[in-house]
Amino acid sequence: MTKILLVAAREFRHIASMRSFWVSMLLLPAALFIAPLIHDLLEDDEPTRIAIIDRDPGPAGEAIAARLAFEDRRDELAALSRYVRRYELEAADPAAPWAVHDRALTGADVAAYEDAGGLEAALERIDAVRPDDVRDFDPPSPDYALVEPPAGLAEADAAAIEARRDTIFDRATAAGPVPDDIVLIETDADGRPVIHLVSRDRPDATLLGIVREEAARALRTQALAERGVDPADSATIEALAPPIMISTPQPGGGARETHVIRSILPLALAYMLLMSLLLSGNWMVQGAVEERGSKLVESVIACVRPWQLMMGKLVGTTAVGLSMILVWVGCAIVAALMTKGIVADLLRPALDSIATPGAILAIVYFFVLGYVMLSTLFLAIGVLSDNMNEAQGFIMPMMMIILLPVMYMLQAIVQDAGGIGLQIMTWFPPVTPFAVLARLGAGIETWELVGTAILLAAFTALMLWLVGRLFQASLLKSGQKSGIGQLIDRFRIAQD
Amino acid sequence: MSILSMQGVTKRFGDITAVDRLDMHVAPGEIFGFLGGNGAGKTTSLRMILDIIRPTEGRIAVLGEAPGQEHADRIGFLPEERGLYPSMKAIDTITYFGRLKGMDAATARAEGMALLERFDLAERATSPIADMSKGMAQKVQLATALVNRPDLLILDEPFSGLDPVNQQLLEAEIVRAARRGAAVVFSTHIMQHAERLCDRLLILRRGVKKFEGDLAAAQGLVPPTVRLTARADLAARPGIAAARILGRDGDWTRYEVDLSPDNDPGTLLETLTREGVLLRDFEARHAALHDIFVHLVGSEPQGEAA
Ligand SMILES: Nc1ncnc2c1ncn2[C@@H]1O[C@H](COP(=O)(O)OP(=O)(O)O)[C@@H](O)[C@H]1O
Ligand SMILES: [Mg+2]
Repeated sequence: MTKILLVAAREFRHIASMRSFWVSMLLLPAALFIAPLIHDLLEDDEPTRIAIIDRDPGPAGEAIAARLAFEDRRDELAALSRYVRRYELEAADPAAPWAVHDRALTGADVAAYEDAGGLEAALERIDAVRPDDVRDFDPPSPDYALVEPPAGLAEADAAAIEARRDTIFDRATAAGPVPDDIVLIETDADGRPVIHLVSRDRPDATLLGIVREEAARALRTQALAERGVDPADSATIEALAPPIMISTPQPGGGARETHVIRSILPLALAYMLLMSLLLSGNWMVQGAVEERGSKLVESVIACVRPWQLMMGKLVGTTAVGLSMILVWVGCAIVAALMTKGIVADLLRPALDSIATPGAILAIVYFFVLGYVMLSTLFLAIGVLSDNMNEAQGFIMPMMMIILLPVMYMLQAIVQDAGGIGLQIMTWFPPVTPFAVLARLGAGIETWELVGTAILLAAFTALMLWLVGRLFQASLLKSGQKSGIGQLIDRFRIAQD
Repeated sequence: MSILSMQGVTKRFGDITAVDRLDMHVAPGEIFGFLGGNGAGKTTSLRMILDIIRPTEGRIAVLGEAPGQEHADRIGFLPEERGLYPSMKAIDTITYFGRLKGMDAATARAEGMALLERFDLAERATSPIADMSKGMAQKVQLATALVNRPDLLILDEPFSGLDPVNQQLLEAEIVRAARRGAAVVFSTHIMQHAERLCDRLLILRRGVKKFEGDLAAAQGLVPPTVRLTARADLAARPGIAAARILGRDGDWTRYEVDLSPDNDPGTLLETLTREGVLLRDFEARHAALHDIFVHLVGSEPQGEAA
């Protein structure tokens, strides 16, 4: 036993001294850390800048400007409402529009919100009841910003603007802020507004909708006025809309979402298992090939039985893989604590779902045994190959056999498309650990869990036995062609 | 009282019989040479002693018991094919092997440092093996075999590939170990080392033992030659099988004489003196181990095919 541990410790130190180990280990946390930064970088929180040139005496121009401002306000109110609902802060002001979640927000709600002092006032009230561990509200960045029209366009007509499109939208040469869209409102011969939308890029559909709606509303109001309807009445009529009652799941609730959240931790573990296996498996192959290549194995097996050497290698590599995963999990926890918000929100229900002794036992069992089983397969490759090139030829198909089903599996779980494929894979020993981990969140029958646990143990034992024979027979050989005949030969010699 | 013995040991690889019904024994404190050409079965025999491979037939006793890695704490082994973990430091390598042989880390390290000191490598103790010259790495590997002060030291072709300085160092270590009371078994196809070092030796030819015993007994197998300078013609005398003329100096002739099988140098000298043959010098020469080997095996030690 001490000899196994000695071999394992050497193996561990050897791998830990490799630069590729540290690079691979730190890559994942680095990615975790950098991903949000890149996300922020790519995320478009620049508002769409809109310049309105209004040469029409009618109300269309003002209406559009007011509507754009209203849209941003309503988005802010909606976000605040979701925040209040998620953290159950309605007590701050049960009557406030942001404390009501069962109907679509109306213009009246936005007006009430504005009248009550807008975001600042709302947050003041919310802060009074907010527990310490609830994150700050992060208001959405506004979608629209009104800017002054570029200089020299005040008199220009649509054709003239069109002719200058190259220069007005060019950010490099422009003096002031460059609009993304220019809304030009003129009056036609009948005294009706005509709208030109000159856009830097393709105008977004929402903006187009707003312009159309507001212009139409202005026209309608004007037409009603011409027919003797009091503008106040027509405004009331315009504002008529049936209240839309809506029912959405609590954030973090909902059937599909729950299912995914419950699966997050097991899935993440399955993914880490995969990553660290592929890495440490590679190192294992490399180590075994080198050991035989450099002929030092004979000195070692004069002191240690071949099966002890093999077990030592497996224990060492498994320890490397598990410590790698511990580091990754540690990083994830730190990240979760630091961000406190969304990650923690996801983590809590995710943890709840697997925090039963049975689930933890299953995770540890399938994880560790899966690690040993797959490392054994990698070791077999190391034992069969005389050099790294030859080994690569075995590693590729082996990775495919593991990678493809696992990728399919992770995909299937996330899309909630379990089904028979997943069930079959659960009983295919090389991917059993992944399948069980992946299915754990969604729930897996106890008989299946026990059955696959036994199958996995039996398969692992079989692999250990087979590879052990192979290992013993192959230790002192090199330079011979590898093939089926050779393989059988080695087994035969191992029998002696 | 033997520390190592084989009885009727045979090892077959498929159709090849690498070792054929071998009997041998080695006593503590003895330096024992395993001589044979390439493919004679030396490595196979040594591997069986270490339980790296198992004999097809026969019994082996190591330290009074069946071979096995549990004896590793009392055995030192230097394999024919040398190699160490390239990224490991010299002292760590020695310590690692010491620990595999049941030593605790501190003792193994201290003993390793002492060995490196003796091998003039102390200041390279923390260099990785990959940064060392071939000669240095060979010394480190020798240290891994010696670190546990083995009672049985097994060296497979230890001299091959060593530069003359390291060959001397190795000879000194072999003698040192034997003085301490350890049995040293080494294989070689270079006869000079065996001649200088071995208390007893064993000659193998294609797995079959041709001889086991001390050097004197081996020399007894091949009659000695005599070199003498005389005036008389020695060609047709009783007791002389052949007389080759090596040179002349005036009326003196220098001869190299093969004795007939029942004769020996003393008897020849006595006969010649009694018969009044004038001699200017007389020198009896024992057969060199190389010649004995050729005599027993029928070919040069380097050239024997499997
Ligand atoms: N693992 C093996 N498989 C098959 N044949 C072997 C093996 N090891 C040694 N032999 C054969 O056994 C014979 C003795 O080899 P070996 O003991 O290495 O000789 P030596 O060390 O004296 O040069 C040779 O013919 C060799 O080819
Ligand atoms: Mg050999």
